[in-house]
Amino acid sequence: MLFRILKNSFLKRPKAVVLVFISIAMGAAVATAFLGIAGEVSHKMALELRSYGANILLEPAAVEGGGYLRETDLPKIKTVFWKYNITGFAPYLFGVADLSANGKKERAVVSGTWFAKQLEVPGEEASVQGIRGIAPWWEVNGRWPEGPDEAVVGASLAKRLNVGLGSEVGATVRGRAARFRVAGVVTTGGFEEEQLFAPLVTVQDFLGKPGQVSRVLVSALTVPMDDFGRKDPNSMSKDEYEKWYCTAYVTSVAKNVEEVMAGSRAKPIWQIASAEGALLKKLNAVMLLLTVLALGASASAVSTSLMASMAERSSEIALMKAMGADRFQVAAIFLGEVLIVSTAGGFFGYLAGNQLAALISHSVFNSAIASPLWLFPTAIVSAFLVALAGSVAPLRRALNIEAVRVLKG
Amino acid sequence: MTVPTIQTAGLTKGYGDICALKPLDLQVAEGEWLSVMGHSGSGKSTLMNLVGGLDRPSGGSLSVGGQDLSALSEDGLARFRREFVGIIFQQHHLVPYLSAVENVMLSQYFHSVPDEAEARLALERVGLGHRLKNRPGELSGGEQQRVCIARAIINSPKLLLGDEPTGNLDHKSTVMVLELLKELRAEDRFTVVLVTHNEEVAAWGDRTIYLDDGVLVREERLRS
Ligand SMILES: Nc1ncnc2c1ncn2[C@@H]1O[C@H](COP(=O)(O)OP(=O)(O)OP(=O)(O)O)[C@@H](O)[C@H]1O
Ligand SMILES: [Mg+2]
Repeated sequence: MLFRILKNSFLKRPKAVVLVFISIAMGAAVATAFLGIAGEVSHKMALELRSYGANILLEPAAVEGGGYLRETDLPKIKTVFWKYNITGFAPYLFGVADLSANGKKERAVVSGTWFAKQLEVPGEEASVQGIRGIAPWWEVNGRWPEGPDEAVVGASLAKRLNVGLGSEVGATVRGRAARFRVAGVVTTGGFEEEQLFAPLVTVQDFLGKPGQVSRVLVSALTVPMDDFGRKDPNSMSKDEYEKWYCTAYVTSVAKNVEEVMAGSRAKPIWQIASAEGALLKKLNAVMLLLTVLALGASASAVSTSLMASMAERSSEIALMKAMGADRFQVAAIFLGEVLIVSTAGGFFGYLAGNQLAALISHSVFNSAIASPLWLFPTAIVSAFLVALAGSVAPLRRALNIEAVRVLKG
Repeated sequence: MTVPTIQTAGLTKGYGDICALKPLDLQVAEGEWLSVMGHSGSGKSTLMNLVGGLDRPSGGSLSVGGQDLSALSEDGLARFRREFVGIIFQQHHLVPYLSAVENVMLSQYFHSVPDEAEARLALERVGLGHRLKNRPGELSGGEQQRVCIARAIINSPKLLLGDEPTGNLDHKSTVMVLELLKELRAEDRFTVVLVTHNEEVAAWGDRTIYLDDGVLVREERLRS
């Protein structure tokens, strides 16, 4: 019977029903779209942010005695548990040398590194590693080094040595000598402008430290630190440790990398990591807030249209009450209608929202997104919530209708 | 002597300053047909709504079918209405988007479970066996009122209330409706209270009471 009442009442008042349906579907669509791209947005934002610097520093564990890391260990970084979170890394070998060019002499740091090294690791995808990947904001006037004796010189060092593109720079250290051709002058806005960067092998040779590396900077995607992430892993129970290890905290990724680099100690570079986490948190909060606002707006639209149809139906409800329908029975009819409309609205909202998310993702990030499985139930549930929230006031009004006054003969 | 179906003592109803019903003592015996007359605004509908559990008294006692109505909760009154009372209004008050048989079934639905065969039977009893599937808009005034009667009696109420049920009908339809009520009462033995402006309609009852300004001023027994 309830079904018959609902069916006929829908058929009789298609406009009112469609209005409520549209309000609910719009709310569900917006919620679906926002929630659907929220994950995508934070991922993409994290990637963009990641390009502003490395967040893990690997150093030799024994600092005294000039410990070094082994270059041969580097490919292992691409094999660790969190390898997919590691977006890039670059090794460095430092040494202070006496530089000379055009009759000028300066003492400065000579840094051997990878610029863009093709890295083949058995069983893993080939990748390109080096400074160009983890420090894309470096501005090179000229070009990156290609030959073994080419170098980029920090802008401020270049000024002091009075060198430009194509100049030759001589370097000596403890009786060893090397010559570098300046391929580019680099502006970074940091201490790097005081250094000379040359291919790692060349510098290893020059400094007499074959196969050695002083430090490695690693850039990894991490989740924001929370209270659990800040706990000391050494004091954790086995289960806790496992959970910690399997969460992409910057500390656990660091630990992960440390394990494959013999004799190393990994340190998170905190400022960047935490600023990034905070930013992503805010971004997610904004997305959530927008979603809630959209749902709120659609709930109030639902409420308004239900109120209007309630006014139209007050005599019908009064009649039902006069026939002895109690509050529960009146509410059942009312909520039954709302439930049906919101299920349909949630379904269509989900479909529309998915399209919207794909559209947004395509136009903003130029990529397709896979909608997560939980999105469908979420869309339906948010449609229900919108419908229920929008029903409170109209339902109260329906229950408060006084049959006597409405039916007065 | 059985308990009267309706028993009031000092029953009053006020709307703000207006006293629509002055202290009223009234008894209606089981199976009796009572006609209520009085000019407009004399409190007939007010009395009807109180007795039907649609409204609450301001004072005095009101017992219908042995139940003290002023002691019932909102849902208790709803339950009383669906189980004990059948109501027919002047305006037909059918649900416009439901067919005749569905309108009758609606009452069953609130009462217990809808039973289409039974609802059909009730409509046949009021002579509408051939208009089951029609919507109220497709029925004449008299036919609509007969649907209301079928709906009012479907749950076998002990008390049938009519607030000017024939007020909108022509003479022929009026007689038809009253005849029908008389027949049904003979079979189902319910008590009838009918409000009317029309002496002729009132004459179908066993007794007529006259209200004036909320006061019972006169009473006339026609048959016992
Ligand atoms: N809800 C209300 N609020 C205020 N006053 C009311 C209300 N309902 C009825 N009244 C007043 O109570 C008095 C009795 O009204 P009632 O409806 O019982 O009259 P009636 O005898 O049924 O009249 P009619 O023959 O016109 O239907 C009237 O003066 C009316 O104005
Ligand atoms: Mg009246």
